Amino acid sequence: MSLVLPIPVVQVLQVATIAAAAPGVSGVIARVEARLQGRTGPRLAQPYSDLRKLFQKEALAPQGASWVFLAAPLAAMTCYLTVPLLIPVLTTFGLPLGYMGDILGGGFILSLASFLIAVAALETGSPYAQLGASRAKTFSAITEPVILFVVFTVALVTGTDLPYALAATVRSSAGQIVRPAHLLAAAALFMVILYETGRIPVETHSGTNEFGMIEEARPFEHSGPYFALLKWGSAMKQLILYTILLNVFVAPWGLASTAQAGSVLLAIVSLVAKAAALGVVVAVIDNSFAKLRLFKITEFVSAAFLLAVLGVFTLYLGGG
Amino acid sequence: MAGAAAVAAPSVFSGSANVIAVGVLLVEFGMFRQALLRDQVRLYAAQSTLISVLAVVVAAARHLPDLYVLAGLSFALKAVIVPVVLRRLLRGLGGRGEGPGWTDIADSGSLSLATTVLVAIAVAAFGFFSVAALGIHSPVLPTTALAISVAVVLVAFVLMIMRRDVASQAIGFFSLENGVSLTALVVAASMPLILEIVFLFDLLVAVVVFGLLIRVHHGRAESLSTADLTRLRG
Repeated sequence: MSLVLPIPVVQVLQVATIAAAAPGVSGVIARVEARLQGRTGPRLAQPYSDLRKLFQKEALAPQGASWVFLAAPLAAMTCYLTVPLLIPVLTTFGLPLGYMGDILGGGFILSLASFLIAVAALETGSPYAQLGASRAKTFSAITEPVILFVVFTVALVTGTDLPYALAATVRSSAGQIVRPAHLLAAAALFMVILYETGRIPVETHSGTNEFGMIEEARPFEHSGPYFALLKWGSAMKQLILYTILLNVFVAPWGLASTAQAGSVLLAIVSLVAKAAALGVVVAVIDNSFAKLRLFKITEFVSAAFLLAVLGVFTLYLGGG
Repeated sequence: MAGAAAVAAPSVFSGSANVIAVGVLLVEFGMFRQALLRDQVRLYAAQSTLISVLAVVVAAARHLPDLYVLAGLSFALKAVIVPVVLRRLLRGLGGRGEGPGWTDIADSGSLSLATTVLVAIAVAAFGFFSVAALGIHSPVLPTTALAISVAVVLVAFVLMIMRRDVASQAIGFFSLENGVSLTALVVAASMPLILEIVFLFDLLVAVVVFGLLIRVHHGRAESLSTADLTRLRG
């Protein structure tokens, strides 16, 4: 197969892959988790059916909520559709729009989305949504330094902070993989991802226990297509973060090095396979640990911070 | 950082050696959190095992056959005998119908865990930067491993200061010795074997003494906590 795709098509495919595969990855995690607990679990395609059902339902807004409440899911979705342009989803080479922002830029857009959802949650006047928004902001303030130190590590390792550069560096030699700075940064990022996607040990993902909720509580008042957008958005955020961990840090292999249709297709398949494998790991973690009490989350974050800081320390003496 | 020079990757050998050394340091940090005496002893055994593994790696990569013997001896002593001796000495300290090894030492930290970790990170940073200032270079292992070993020693001090139970303090002392062996591996890998063995047996004496002290303390205070030791006379 020697059909060469135009570069803009590849660029669009990056976003389309993330948008289309995200609910599926959530489905895989839910399924594996159920099997580990001895249940049959939902079908893999269940999240797609949920989204379709929600899109057909009526949308309601609480009394007194302004236009912000309804605009926030759309704006957040826009953010989630923008980030895949910046990170190596399918290709090893930077696509034209890939240099719009670095890792920090992508992080800013993700936190903008989370901020907008929090504002919408505050609009509702519902105590649980507000509680979730307030907790999400509190804890993201303490995970921020971890992300910063991970970015510092990347910057020291590659001399730049473009995600494409780090992925290329990791692929370049075995020495780049076993260096402690790389392993520590990847581990710290994984812990932050567990927090950001609302997984054990930070939050129960599928429970209905409001007292432990952080991220899950925020869209309580949204309904219909808006709720669908928020659910889809959080699945996309999860896949975006998985993609950053996989294609930049842990396993930047299987990406297309040319725009040929065959290799791009292979890249799509390998991304989905890698994300599903990571999802299985996350499901195992979900089943092996207990949820931390809310005030113990600082311990979890301090462990992630320790890893990220040690990564920079080891680089300081040139041995990382 | 755009335009700044990238830090070159170390060779696979020094990368792996550094990773193992970082593992030793992370285990040391893990000791801040352990809630059961049994798990604390297990962490110590894991840390000792990591050091033996590092010794094997160095022996294989640098062709120092002595180190194989040292690795074997240190594994046998620190990962097998010391934990067994400790468990024997501390048997029956649980009380309240608890099985052996379930002795609870949770929440014995004098500060919250997150704060303790931040303090320990600051202390470890001091170790890192001071080693960089010393400019010691070893032919056997990278300087980073030396910096990490100094950090292990300093963090072990923080552990002994912060945790107010005798078991963690004793284990902090033994893990401090682990940090020192790591340092020895970096700066004096070809140290005469007999000296290393003497140090190892020194440790065994310390383990027995500390074990007895823990028993005496438990006999008097009915707990492993040192929080009650506020008077000068018993």
